[in-house]
Amino acid sequence: MKDFMLIFIGVDYAEMELSPEEIQGRAQSWMTWQEKMEKQGVLKGGNALQSDLKRINGPDRTITDRASTEIKEIIGGYYLVQAENIERAIGIAQDYPDYDLGGKVEVRELMYYN
Amino acid sequence: MPEQKMIDHLFRHQYGKMVSILIRIFGLQHLETIEDAVQDTFINAMKAWQSNVPENPEAWLTKSAKNRTLDLFRKLSAEDARIANIEAGVTTIAINELFLEHEVEDSVLRMIFTACNPVLNSKDQIAFALRTISGFSGKEIASALLLREETVKKRLVRARKMIQEKHIAFEIPGELNLAPRLDRVLKVIYLIFNEGFHSSRKDMLIREDLCGEAMRLVKVLLNNQYTATPASRALFALFCFQAARLRSKTNDQKEIISLRDQDRSEWYMPLIALGHRTMNKAVDTETFSQYHYEAAIAAEHSQASSYHETNWDKILVWYERLNELEQSPMNLLNMAVVQLQRKDLKAVKSLLEKIQPNLLEQRAYLYYGTFAEYAYQIGNREESLIYIDKAIKLVKNEAELNYLGRQKIKYQAG
Repeated sequence: MKDFMLIFIGVDYAEMELSPEEIQGRAQSWMTWQEKMEKQGVLKGGNALQSDLKRINGPDRTITDRASTEIKEIIGGYYLVQAENIERAIGIAQDYPDYDLGGKVEVRELMYYN
Repeated sequence: MPEQKMIDHLFRHQYGKMVSILIRIFGLQHLETIEDAVQDTFINAMKAWQSNVPENPEAWLTKSAKNRTLDLFRKLSAEDARIANIEAGVTTIAINELFLEHEVEDSVLRMIFTACNPVLNSKDQIAFALRTISGFSGKEIASALLLREETVKKRLVRARKMIQEKHIAFEIPGELNLAPRLDRVLKVIYLIFNEGFHSSRKDMLIREDLCGEAMRLVKVLLNNQYTATPASRALFALFCFQAARLRSKTNDQKEIISLRDQDRSEWYMPLIALGHRTMNKAVDTETFSQYHYEAAIAAEHSQASSYHETNWDKILVWYERLNELEQSPMNLLNMAVVQLQRKDLKAVKSLLEKIQPNLLEQRAYLYYGTFAEYAYQIGNREESLIYIDKAIKLVKNEAELNYLGRQKIKYQAG
């Protein structure tokens, strides 16, 4: 078994003008996906991230805020999952609820050095 | 862990409750801040649940709403000295009390009276009620009412502006004002229901949502001793009878089927029974409202095993009373249809003569269809064909068009 990080990119709900009904639908999809992974024993952890961010840049350690134009690049959260190989991890990521909002999932294997 | 499935419309209803409670605490002048705050709570809920599925989503939301209320206190009292003043008096305990079920209902009831305040025009009232009490988004309102999103936005902006300008109080009107204000509330709820029930919208879910919302709002009225009037009960009874046949009102092609052609075995009997129980309480009064008569008519239809076995005599009486209360061309047309069933052709004629068909708008085809049948019954084949053609030209609904087509064949045969 290998560990993979599923990184969710490109969706900031606060900017989406979702209605309460739509939010409930999304929340339900996330819950259903989570429970499915827990049942299969593949979910090791994860979190959503707050929208506010600070970036520390360069040798001068200049601090910048997020630009309003970069929603597409923003990480909204991640899950840590266990899978035999990357194909299986991609399979798990099929249930990510926000593809229709323009979201994408980056699948990355964790590197361990033995 | 058992699979979590949230109650239908939990967020939508929670939205209306939370907005109402928060307005009761902070006042209508903070409406926009409050709506944003509630929206934030929901988004935070969705994000928090991504790493931790709550045991009880409803309780989680309420708790988070309370916490958000305290945050708002800090935020608003920094901006508004009046809030800082009440802060001293309002403790966490007092806030907790406002989240108790009967206090929540009281807040929602105040919100209903606010949305239906007569300083707002009736179109704005509907949009504003759907937004703030029922938690519909502008897009959802537009889609439910077949309006452009821009139009809905304008109505919401206008309503919010009026509420600020006129300093509307967030309260249940006192005894003197209660009756006329409650009339207005019932009318708005009635219109919301009809938007769902008579909609030409093909999406059944949206139509059920509107009818369901209207029913939920009347239930709030029925839970308060001052607003649980005979008229409120009659309105709820009417909704029960109508909602029971909402599903059989459309065919597989999503076309509206008239009462005449509905499959009565599909009517939802428990709702009809609830309608009768509610009606029994509603008639305990000297004066009947429009809703009493409409409910009585709907009840009569719900009891008939087929269209032809309907008790038209009784229905006629209710229509006559209804028309005495509020004259309308639609009432006259309905009476003409009933008289046609009773074969009182003289009465049909005199009723039809009183109607200006253009006032019936999209239902004008019904007038011409009725006229055609009348002409046929008195043996005037020529006129029956002229009128059925007029009806066919105006009808928009496929199922009704088919019916009129069959009638035409009957008239052609003579």
